[in-house]
Amino acid sequence: MNTSYLPSDYLPVLIQLLLALGFIVTTMIVTHSVGPKRKSQKKDDPFECGIPVQGDARTPISIKYFLIAILFVLFDVEVIFLYPWAVNFKGLGLTGFIEMILFMGLLLAGFYYVIRKGVLKWE
Amino acid sequence: MFPIVLLSVFGILLLFLGFLKSRAILLPAALLFLLVSLAVNFIDWNKTYLYFNGMLLSDNLSMVFTAIVLGSAFMVVALSGSFMEDESAQPAEYYGILLFSLVGALMMIGFENLIMLFVGVEILSVAMYVLTGSDKRNLRSNEAALKYFLMGAFTTGIMLFGMALLYGATGSFTLGGIRAYAVNPQVGLSLLFYVGLLMLLIGLLFKVSAAPFHFWTPDVYDGAPTLFTAFMSTVVKTAGFAALFRLLSISFSGVYTFWWTILAIITTLTLVAGNITAVYQNSFKRMMAYSSISHAGYLLIGLAALGQQTKQAIVFYSLAYSVATIAAFGVLLLVARQRNAETITSGGSSSESFDAFNGLARQNPLLGFAMAVSMLSLAGIPLTAGFWGKFYMFSTAVERGQIWLLVVAVLMSAVGIYYYFRVIIAMYFREGATAPIRVAPFYRYVLVVATLLTIGLGIAPGLLEGLF
Repeated sequence: MNTSYLPSDYLPVLIQLLLALGFIVTTMIVTHSVGPKRKSQKKDDPFECGIPVQGDARTPISIKYFLIAILFVLFDVEVIFLYPWAVNFKGLGLTGFIEMILFMGLLLAGFYYVIRKGVLKWE
Repeated sequence: MFPIVLLSVFGILLLFLGFLKSRAILLPAALLFLLVSLAVNFIDWNKTYLYFNGMLLSDNLSMVFTAIVLGSAFMVVALSGSFMEDESAQPAEYYGILLFSLVGALMMIGFENLIMLFVGVEILSVAMYVLTGSDKRNLRSNEAALKYFLMGAFTTGIMLFGMALLYGATGSFTLGGIRAYAVNPQVGLSLLFYVGLLMLLIGLLFKVSAAPFHFWTPDVYDGAPTLFTAFMSTVVKTAGFAALFRLLSISFSGVYTFWWTILAIITTLTLVAGNITAVYQNSFKRMMAYSSISHAGYLLIGLAALGQQTKQAIVFYSLAYSVATIAAFGVLLLVARQRNAETITSGGSSSESFDAFNGLARQNPLLGFAMAVSMLSLAGIPLTAGFWGKFYMFSTAVERGQIWLLVVAVLMSAVGIYYYFRVIIAMYFREGATAPIRVAPFYRYVLVVATLLTIGLGIAPGLLEGLF
């Protein structure tokens, strides 16, 4: 590993940083100065979609939504593992296959647990 | 290695056992699983192996730490009979999470790679956040869980940042690679290395609740269900110190002159903050939280004075501390439940205050004796394991010539005697109407074994020598 870097080697990082910062600052200044301004009660609503605002954001929401969201992320991420495995299927050989079976088995066990716990029941 | 694999499987098994109609099988199953894991732990005895592509080391020291952790977990689980009576409790999930958290603890004990350390810390911590808040209807428990989670997540971030900086400086995540860099630098150690080491230390010191990173401890220990407090103050602490010891003795022994002063200051702070604050507590559970901070201080002495004896001192101290703490919490569980049952009818003081122990020993000699022995051990009175634990710790400081650290520690253990004896005085010399408390047979065995271990190791501390 090459461990002797000069400070100038980090210049691209600095440029990237400045570009990102510059983009944000420029867009904010431009939108505030160029766009038309019409102030009214409706315009100041946090979310403008034509439907009147109901209470504030801190209403209790059924825990089921959170569970579904978490489960979605879980099973979604699992697919990320499947793609590289499928691409390298031949190279990984039998060991890779067994490892993937193990992984999928654990995942299905979790899925079975979720169903038995009644997380997906909505009534 | 074997316990890690088995515990992962057993945890899943326990979750599925929870679907059975009867809850009665869960406790024996969890105990059996822990016993099996403890037994397979010793398969590699006297051999040194690297597992999982050099990620985990299995040697005698890691096996001894594993045995302490699994033994403490076994005793804590054995005290958990009350889950079966509680309607809202979910014992299958609790046991499952406990077993999973042990996997994390074992990774922290045997890690050979910083990634493994991070994964272990996370597995253990996340499980603890959940268990802290497991008393869902209790506001204190919720508060504790949220506090623990927010602060813990933040420190984990700091720790991870430290690891990244260490990698930037050394180009390696392995303990050996970092050691090679620290011992033999080509141009001199980079600033990143020092900052990374400090951040990594902060993360781990938070987990073992050393001052000034200890502020979460009292609230979390107080709010969590007592059983999980016992688990946290034994398993998490032992695993944390095993990880700290591995890290400092293997990777960073070359830069001892850099970190020992910092660690010595933290040790002093921890000892003073833990012991002095414990004196002012009225709740026994809160006192035990501060006591656990102060014991983290005693354990840190061995690290600040890292030497030949440190290994033995840390192993002995964590064992003595764990056994005594579990016995103390076990008695507290029973007393608090009894008091709670009484308060419903009569209305009295808090079930976890010192007053709850008034006159306990007269009607319940076994509970009184078990509690007295564990308090004596925590205070470090001779003929208990705690005395030898402190003795070994203090002799590491003498070996390194850190006399001022020794003076602080001795003074602070004198302070400790005051608050530990408050319980003994309440139990034996105060008047109080305590009905005899029914102790389930298994519960009794755990208390007896813990008491015998404390006394046995106090009389013959050499039993453990030469084991590792």
